[in-house]
Amino acid sequence: MLHRIDDRLIHGQVVVGWGRPLGVGFIALVDDTVAASDWEQELYRMGVPPEMTLYFADVATAEREHPKWESDSRPGIVLTPDIGTMARLAASVPVTEVNLGGIHHAPGRTQRLQYVFLTPEEEQALRDLAERGVKIFAQDVPGGKPVELGDLL
Amino acid sequence: MSFLEVLPIALLGAVCGLDFVSFPQAMISRPIVGATAGGAILGSPSAGLLIGVVLELLALDTRPFGASRYPEWGTAGVTGGAVFASVGAGRPGGLAVAAFVSLVTAMLSGSSMVLLRKLIGARAAVTRELIEAGSERAVVGLQLFGLTADLLRGFILTLLAVALAVPLARGMVEIWGLPATFSNAAVIGLAGAVAGGSLWKFFTAGTRTGWLFLAGLVIGLGFVAVQ
Amino acid sequence: MTRIHVPFMTRLVTWLRLFAVQGSWNYEILLGNGIGFCAEPALRLLPGGRGGDKYRRALARQSRYFNAHPYLAAVAVGALTRAELEEVDPAKIERFRTALAGPLGSVGDRLVWSGWLPLCSLLALGAYGVGGSAGLVVALFLIVYNVGHVALRAWGLKVGFSQGTEVAKSLSTPLLRRSPEWIDRAGALLAGIAVPTAVERAVGIGGEVSAVAIGAVLIGGVVLARIPNTSVGWRLALGILSIIVLYAVLA
Repeated sequence: MLHRIDDRLIHGQVVVGWGRPLGVGFIALVDDTVAASDWEQELYRMGVPPEMTLYFADVATAEREHPKWESDSRPGIVLTPDIGTMARLAASVPVTEVNLGGIHHAPGRTQRLQYVFLTPEEEQALRDLAERGVKIFAQDVPGGKPVELGDLL
Repeated sequence: MSFLEVLPIALLGAVCGLDFVSFPQAMISRPIVGATAGGAILGSPSAGLLIGVVLELLALDTRPFGASRYPEWGTAGVTGGAVFASVGAGRPGGLAVAAFVSLVTAMLSGSSMVLLRKLIGARAAVTRELIEAGSERAVVGLQLFGLTADLLRGFILTLLAVALAVPLARGMVEIWGLPATFSNAAVIGLAGAVAGGSLWKFFTAGTRTGWLFLAGLVIGLGFVAVQ
Repeated sequence: MTRIHVPFMTRLVTWLRLFAVQGSWNYEILLGNGIGFCAEPALRLLPGGRGGDKYRRALARQSRYFNAHPYLAAVAVGALTRAELEEVDPAKIERFRTALAGPLGSVGDRLVWSGWLPLCSLLALGAYGVGGSAGLVVALFLIVYNVGHVALRAWGLKVGFSQGTEVAKSLSTPLLRRSPEWIDRAGALLAGIAVPTAVERAVGIGGEVSAVAIGAVLIGGVVLARIPNTSVGWRLALGILSIIVLYAVLA
């Protein structure tokens, strides 16, 4: 199961780029706001092919459901929109690897890669995650070069 | 080649290069189109089509999403078609040299696109305050800047590629030391293998369309055997 | 909510601008500025008109970071413009904008970049393989591909304009959800036919050389299919080609 941080959530790189070569059977979208919004869920659902299952969860639900996703025989992706959400999730469930897939330009962020822009607070949050033993790597698509956290910051 | 001979090819390269990302994305940037047109300008559409087919097979392996850097086939196709037609399609080594030149162009052109997009980003950063204030001139201006710069990029790139590659390719063909049948078959076989491997991976991953691919292969090989 | 009438000429200009939506694509805001550029003509219909306060705020909002498939961006431009003209709460527009981007990218990537485009490319290669002339191959490819391309942009803008923030319903139609699957199947079948026939005609001698070339293609294809990363094939081809060229020139 791939844990990915991507502010675009469901999009082509996730569904086609990772989804196809991995044969992904489900995507769990963990975001408190989306979990509470029907019309946003409706939009995200249309971005997923019929043969993939899409779960919506807030962090609390994700903590409960995580073991079930982990034991699913199909390959899956757990997707969060930001580092904070992933850090909260990783605090209570076992996460060994986190993939930085896309954090884009916003005021206060500095460019680290073509698809990774970070604020100083976000950098610290990533370092904290790494200190807890989580392996962090940036990679947009399977064909792209993985970049370790040490080379990123 | 004189400047007047290269000019129409460079203009075609500009249009095909622009089509790749910026405008209108009608896929005249596909090598099967660009190379055929490039060959046609020099009087040999069928030579252009042959190199176009080779490049199109290779292009099937690159899809324009995700990868932060990918080959740009618009200018590359035009360059390949023009080079192949100008060295003479019948010459041993012509196809191999044209395909080589074309792939190098595709790579350099891909890098030039990254630079162009950085340039547009820098320009966007300078005008950000005006755009944030909802200035029509700033928004439309940035768009026109990007389009013009991309058109120029394709023009300069094709101009340089063709001007450098045609004499080089002619020289290489002069001293070519392999039989025509072998070098042509090797280039085409290579492109076919890249396409075949990529398509097989694509159609067997995730979805269950691999058996349709095999069924197609039976039909295709049957057709070839009958020929 | 009031229904806003968008004149035909405004729709037409918006649709034409959509062909250049990626003109200012960059790594910071992607095609954000392009969305503003395409929405701009219709935003002039806001109270206060062109250059007015509402116009300027809407234009600024629409020109921020945005990512989508360039063809499906038509849906976004239509829906976001409609939401702006209805003067929907800006905070809701921002969330709608965010939620729209990814799914439109995903639909476009499946439908076009890994569906319609390779299908049409294979159609052209197949037409070449069975003996089509240069004019026929190129015309067939451009016409078939662009019928789909142009129609998709027009349809996208239309549903976007007419549905506004409700646009998800139109996008979850069975036709749109199922068509990538059908395109995939047609593509798989066509791929099997097109690659060997195109290789055979390109080699062009027939007999043993063709048989050896096609055999090499099959074996090479199986080997290459084992390489896990996609998009390395052309680099590999360049590498092998460099060796052949060097050998032939130096030998």
